Amino acid sequence: MNSEANLTRPAKVLVTKIGLDGHDRGSRIVAAALRDAGLEVVYTAPWQEIPTVAKLAMEEDVDVIGVSSLATDHLLVPKLMKELHKAGLDYVKVIVGGIVPDNEEQDLLDAGVARVFHPGSDMADIVGTVQMLAGEAQNDTARQL
Amino acid sequence: MTTAGLSEAGQRLVEKILEGQPAALSRAMTEVENETGHAAALLAAVQKATGRAVTIGITGPPGAGKSTLVNALIGEYRQAGKTVGVIAVDPSSPLSGGAILGDRIRMAEHSHDPGVFVRSFASRGHLGGLSRTAGRVIDLMDAAGWDIILIETVGAGQSEVEVADIAAIKLVVSAPGLGDDIQAIKAGILEIADILVVNKCDQPLAEQTKRSLKAMLKLKQSGSQDIPVLGTVATTSEGLAELVSEIALQDEKQRRGDNLVDRKPRIRRNLAEAVGQLAKDRLRQNQSADIDALIVALESGETDYLAAAEAVLDGGQTNREIAATRLEKKTGS
Amino acid sequence: MSQNEQFALPGFEDWEAAYNKQLPDGKTVRNRSGIEVKPMYTPADWDVEEYGDKLGFPGTAPFTRGIYPTMHRGRTWSQRQLIGLGIPSDYNKRLHRMLKAGTSAISMIPCNSIYRGLDADQIDPVLLGTCGTIINTVEDMETCLDGIPIDEISTALNDPLPFTMLAQVLAVAERRQIPWTKITGTANQSDYISHFVANHMFYRLALPGSRRVLMDHIEFAREKVPNWNPMSVVGQHMQQAGATPAEAMAFTLSTAIQNAEDCLSRGMELEDVLTRFTFFFDISVSFFEEVAKFRAGRRIWARIVRDRFGISSAKAQRFKFHGQTSGVDLTRQQPLNNIARVTAQAIAGIFGGLQSLHTDSFDEVLSTPTEDAARIAIATQNILREEAHLTDVIDPLGGSYYIERLTDQMEEEIVALIDKIDDLGGMYKAVESGWVQGKIGASAMAFQDRITHGDETIVGVNAYQVESEVELPVQPLDRPAPEDIEAFIENLADYKRRRDQSAVDRALDDLAEIANDNNRNTFEGVVNAARAGATQSETIAVMRAELGFGQPLVVA
Repeated sequence: MNSEANLTRPAKVLVTKIGLDGHDRGSRIVAAALRDAGLEVVYTAPWQEIPTVAKLAMEEDVDVIGVSSLATDHLLVPKLMKELHKAGLDYVKVIVGGIVPDNEEQDLLDAGVARVFHPGSDMADIVGTVQMLAGEAQNDTARQL
Repeated sequence: MTTAGLSEAGQRLVEKILEGQPAALSRAMTEVENETGHAAALLAAVQKATGRAVTIGITGPPGAGKSTLVNALIGEYRQAGKTVGVIAVDPSSPLSGGAILGDRIRMAEHSHDPGVFVRSFASRGHLGGLSRTAGRVIDLMDAAGWDIILIETVGAGQSEVEVADIAAIKLVVSAPGLGDDIQAIKAGILEIADILVVNKCDQPLAEQTKRSLKAMLKLKQSGSQDIPVLGTVATTSEGLAELVSEIALQDEKQRRGDNLVDRKPRIRRNLAEAVGQLAKDRLRQNQSADIDALIVALESGETDYLAAAEAVLDGGQTNREIAATRLEKKTGS
Repeated sequence: MSQNEQFALPGFEDWEAAYNKQLPDGKTVRNRSGIEVKPMYTPADWDVEEYGDKLGFPGTAPFTRGIYPTMHRGRTWSQRQLIGLGIPSDYNKRLHRMLKAGTSAISMIPCNSIYRGLDADQIDPVLLGTCGTIINTVEDMETCLDGIPIDEISTALNDPLPFTMLAQVLAVAERRQIPWTKITGTANQSDYISHFVANHMFYRLALPGSRRVLMDHIEFAREKVPNWNPMSVVGQHMQQAGATPAEAMAFTLSTAIQNAEDCLSRGMELEDVLTRFTFFFDISVSFFEEVAKFRAGRRIWARIVRDRFGISSAKAQRFKFHGQTSGVDLTRQQPLNNIARVTAQAIAGIFGGLQSLHTDSFDEVLSTPTEDAARIAIATQNILREEAHLTDVIDPLGGSYYIERLTDQMEEEIVALIDKIDDLGGMYKAVESGWVQGKIGASAMAFQDRITHGDETIVGVNAYQVESEVELPVQPLDRPAPEDIEAFIENLADYKRRRDQSAVDRALDDLAEIANDNNRNTFEGVVNAARAGATQSETIAVMRAELGFGQPLVVA
């Protein structure tokens, strides 16, 4: 476990793919790495609709959403961010992994994405980042009773 | 019962749960699953609203098609206008403690439906096919007004009889060709079944599987031959209507005069879990002389673990006395 | 081990002693397929007496050295670059430019929306045309192929079941009064099994329906489009998804066996059909392993056709394949290094004896390939062929002790896997049960572990990192102009108003009937729907409704 991550319970992460592409090798490898680091990973088939992702994040009460995009489906992520906001899920952290051109990475960060991981990213970096973000999400005041 | 200990935010959360707001239910589930300081009070606050839902446990060996059957059941109940909650339990990795929760992949066609609420849980080392808090989580879902609650167990092939305590109606699912015979269904599992389902009934050997199950039932205690054995093909919904009406029949039998389900088995299980956890927590923290004395007695072989545990739980006399008495009885007899 | 004991090797022991002295803790090296690779190979590793049986000559069985007598001395390989972006007129312009630059065969990648069976008016416009060309109607296809001599140039279509793109090409041919017998090329994505196993990108019908629709397509093509290759067996998806090279070859050959058996069950003349089977593979950067993979694959396939199906015709035994350099090996870090990787991959493919080659653009991991990068990818092929003279000698690595030994070992590995799948009841069953998916998933994880632990070096990723990255000489890719997309969607609506709606309805109703009648050919119905003016999505929707949708089998 990452010692910097301020987790109050096992981190829960949704690993998913939106849009049209179906290449899922990357998302499967990341999901397995997160599991092996002790995280609880909700895994979906590709082609999720954006409202469905928001509903799923709500039902599963996840801390982090990881969107894998190997074609151009990352272009939909700003719409996902709006949908999460609409559903009152602003505390959920979103990361994107896959092929994202440099000039479009900033658009994603501007839309509220916490971090974009590119091919060849260090798995330990991905896992550590997810744990850290999950800790932040768990401690968000909006989620306290 | 009291709702003392609930913060203002907690009380608002309870209101929202009882109004049926799914986000509130989800939040509360997290509190209960992680047994936070708010969990007990939240549960107490919703108890009065429980007992309405039809709780259906679905267990059986891996490969029987449990998730697909759950998916098909969701479809049937949605068509009938019922709302459906699903609790799906996946195993946690014994090494890392992490888990991949993938059951809902097979229920994807209902993902967007607001009348369906699927929540995945990791077993977190709990044996018996469920997560430790599953029974309490069902209470929340029941109180939140979901008509049907489907509980899918881990399905790792071990004896998953725990679902019997928390679901009013237990489906044990098998499929043709899972083993040489019905070995895949362990005897213990068979005993909890209210309905036996042979899924993938379009495959060869389905009739044979059904026959062997019926034969196995006949060998059990009297009455068990009345347990229905139904065939389904979950992928095409074949046989689902019959399954649903059989469930309805059994549900009707279990309803009391007030049309509520007797939840005592679930409550008993929840209580047992709570007692066990509390006992562990207390004992680990307990630095008292009594406990120390017991530990010394155990170390020297003066007493045994069973006797010592009884001594700890039967709090009236001092533990030391009880331990001594137990030991006396044992050696005396 | 087929070590040749009799072969005297004076001096071998001296070398071995010297080697062990200088490298006392030399570590065991294994290739991606798990085969141990020795530091040196000698005549003891390969028995030249087996030459006739194992190698033969180019153009003669078992084709280890190549499927044609002249191989790359005669016709080199088709330079087939996958392209497709934006709207049909964008595609047409780019196609003309590519042909001028030396591309000798064309290919067509539709927008991902079409893989999912959706028209432009059914998805978020922001995604339209970002991965391929939006082709919804016959008119779109006409625009794509405007000024392209489709009776003279071979066309590869990334056209999954039920083959709506080919139907549109055939409709365009009719409009231009080009006989279908002149249409040549390949249905690149006809292998539904590979889609279920490894590539969820392509929309699919449920497995049983897919099986039938493919057979309909093959039967139709053999009767009416005789120069079309209706069956491309695809190993590429599986290797991209993580299968080792040996696994990818084995699963591909098992798929080919399954399809051949299905053709037989349909009563087709197998000898004739097999002449139209082609294969499609990934070429990784594991250089010698890839060369051996292709040589072994050729030999195994020839023997399968001869021994399992009892067909002696050389034409039916030939293992024709298209190779694509592997995008999985490319890195985002130091992206220009990818040109070197693609070069090594391409050489492996050429030495492996391919018939057609796609070289990846170095910027594939950054975005959809830009035109400048695509030009370098083609130039790479031209340089290898004409400057480096790679094609002067046929099978130039043949006879290398290492390559011949490795070819034998890869063959053993591949044949063992094919046997295993036979035991499981064939490829269809092995996929239906998820066995193949599980195997590939495990290999993908194992390879990732090797990278994570540094057992597999990837320059710029886990070794030789640099502080500051070189700025790319190419500008970032432009997405299709929103006004173009808007116009396309408007045009689609206009098209739907203009067309003879009752003809479309009749064709689609008939298609639904055909789908439920096993005695009729579904592709006939798909072609009629294209002729009548149905869109891709409308046609696919009917097929899905009647034959079911194949949910991806996700094996965690």
